[in-house]
Amino acid sequence: MTFPLRSLAAAVALAAAAFLCTAAGAAGDDAARRGAALAEARGCGGCHGERGRSPTANVPSLAGQPAEAIVLNMILFREGLRDAPPMPDLARDLTDRQIEDLAAFYASLPPGPPEDRGAPDPARMREGALLAERLNCGVCHLPDYAGQNQVPRLAGQREDYLLLSLKGYRDGTRRGTDTSMNAVVYGLSDAELAALAHYLAHAPP
Amino acid sequence: MIRRTAAALGVVAALAAASAPALAQQQQQQQQQQAPAWAQGRPPEMAGSRLAPHAPRLTVTPPDQVPVSALRVPSGFRVELWAHGLPGARMMALGQNGTVFVGTRVIGRVYAVTDEGGQRRVRTIAERLTQPNGVAFRDGSLYVIAINRVLRYDGIEGRLDDPGTPVELTAAFNLPPDEHHGWKFAAFSPDGRLTMNIGVPCNICEFDRDRYALIVSFRPDGSDRRIEARGIRNSVGFDWHPVTRELWATNNGRDWAGNDVPPDTLHRIRRPGEDHGFPFCVGDWNDPAVPRRNCSEFVQPAASLGPHVAALGMRFYTGAMFPEQYRNQIFIARRGSWNREQLIGYDVVVARLDAQGNVTGIEPFLTGLLDQANDRFLGRPVDVLQLRDGSLLVSDEQNGAIYRISRAQ
Repeated sequence: MTFPLRSLAAAVALAAAAFLCTAAGAAGDDAARRGAALAEARGCGGCHGERGRSPTANVPSLAGQPAEAIVLNMILFREGLRDAPPMPDLARDLTDRQIEDLAAFYASLPPGPPEDRGAPDPARMREGALLAERLNCGVCHLPDYAGQNQVPRLAGQREDYLLLSLKGYRDGTRRGTDTSMNAVVYGLSDAELAALAHYLAHAPP
Repeated sequence: MIRRTAAALGVVAALAAASAPALAQQQQQQQQQQAPAWAQGRPPEMAGSRLAPHAPRLTVTPPDQVPVSALRVPSGFRVELWAHGLPGARMMALGQNGTVFVGTRVIGRVYAVTDEGGQRRVRTIAERLTQPNGVAFRDGSLYVIAINRVLRYDGIEGRLDDPGTPVELTAAFNLPPDEHHGWKFAAFSPDGRLTMNIGVPCNICEFDRDRYALIVSFRPDGSDRRIEARGIRNSVGFDWHPVTRELWATNNGRDWAGNDVPPDTLHRIRRPGEDHGFPFCVGDWNDPAVPRRNCSEFVQPAASLGPHVAALGMRFYTGAMFPEQYRNQIFIARRGSWNREQLIGYDVVVARLDAQGNVTGIEPFLTGLLDQANDRFLGRPVDVLQLRDGSLLVSDEQNGAIYRISRAQ
């Protein structure tokens, strides 16, 4: 039995790719395991929830967040560029590797709403949906609001935290890797931001 | 359904506003400003696009993961990893003792890289700044520009371990505080004026053309502001021709007008104050988002550098290491596109100039960071800087690394 050279090359490439994927997956698992141990040691779950679904007002759920979004915010805390006590103090001595490990751990957890989420209010859901459509939230955060890369997951996030963040962007006390979010929510009223937060908090996770 | 409801709401709002013109105007302004800065001017047919700015990497890339083996340079040159461990490394400035100062954006740091016995040492000399992209060096002092903050670190090369408190020049320069396109490229002109861009705080809009979309220069103390060029949307790289002393600048074209328009451009500024056309024209292309003007009113670009490529840092080559054909030619870093369905850029090119200063061609020089087959990128070149030995540094923001290109021995 003979293989045409091209098929052989393809087979080798496939095998190599499979090996690389497995290796990458294993490396990700290792990072997530180290991150789990670090989160345990640091008591992150005390506020963010043991499985990354926050039971705490104004503290975000981290389960299922894109790893880059978590890394970005931890770096901003550590570098003193985002102020949300006590996070800057808690992040101060973390290395890049530890931050990446924590991010891998929380990204690996299944997302879901907090246990204390209330029932959706139909009128505010409609208002929030209209706003989300008009502001093109689904372009960067994706149509199901699962987030991508540095852009965080919004679906199922705590409503109080979403509102706090939106106000921070509107009032210029918070920014991301660029100034997109500040421009998006420029001039919105508190009531509009509340409707948006309500809608996103009740989007299916 | 949702769209129709939105339209109906719009009609109600317009009717209500008709009785209060001032309110209507205010609402209209708010409406315009509510589109994210990167999405302003987006035509309806691109509304379903998922294009979004790429995520920067803010953590250290270990040296064995820096894609130096993927880099390609023309025959007779070699490229090596010169420094690493500088997350977010962007604009570079050379100190008189050979220190390379490096600005950043998101991570808020300024780095200093020194050569110690053939090894590079990286120090963080400033941090917690808002987008300290602009770095310039003159008479022993480092100038750092972070949006509208201007800081001067005197005698910096003698105190890299303890830079001390900088001299605050913010009030003297009185720069606009807008963050969007507010990060600076900064350099000293041959006659000693601190020169920088003031980008436009939107994607495409009408604005005060004496305040934004400028290249401006100052005396080093912040006095005597002069407009060097206007109508340049956002220039994050410029240099002066070594012979003619004319200012040349790269410029970033706007987003959301299509995959292939408008191009990023290279500008030759023959006289201070020339108008290069933004927001109205790019070459002979009238931007449909703003009132129509006759493009012959404006100075034409010296060259097109490609759509959405993010042409940033550029320098004339004046060294003796590279062959004579590179003398007084321009190296340009193209950071690479996000607002285009197929990636483009992610390289360093050479703009070829003839004796009259006409651009005769744009040639690839450093390639390999764009993986076209998989439509992904491995790195993002932001600036180029010639060292005293004639070799050329290239900063890679995505990998927090600096490469050095030299003549193969």
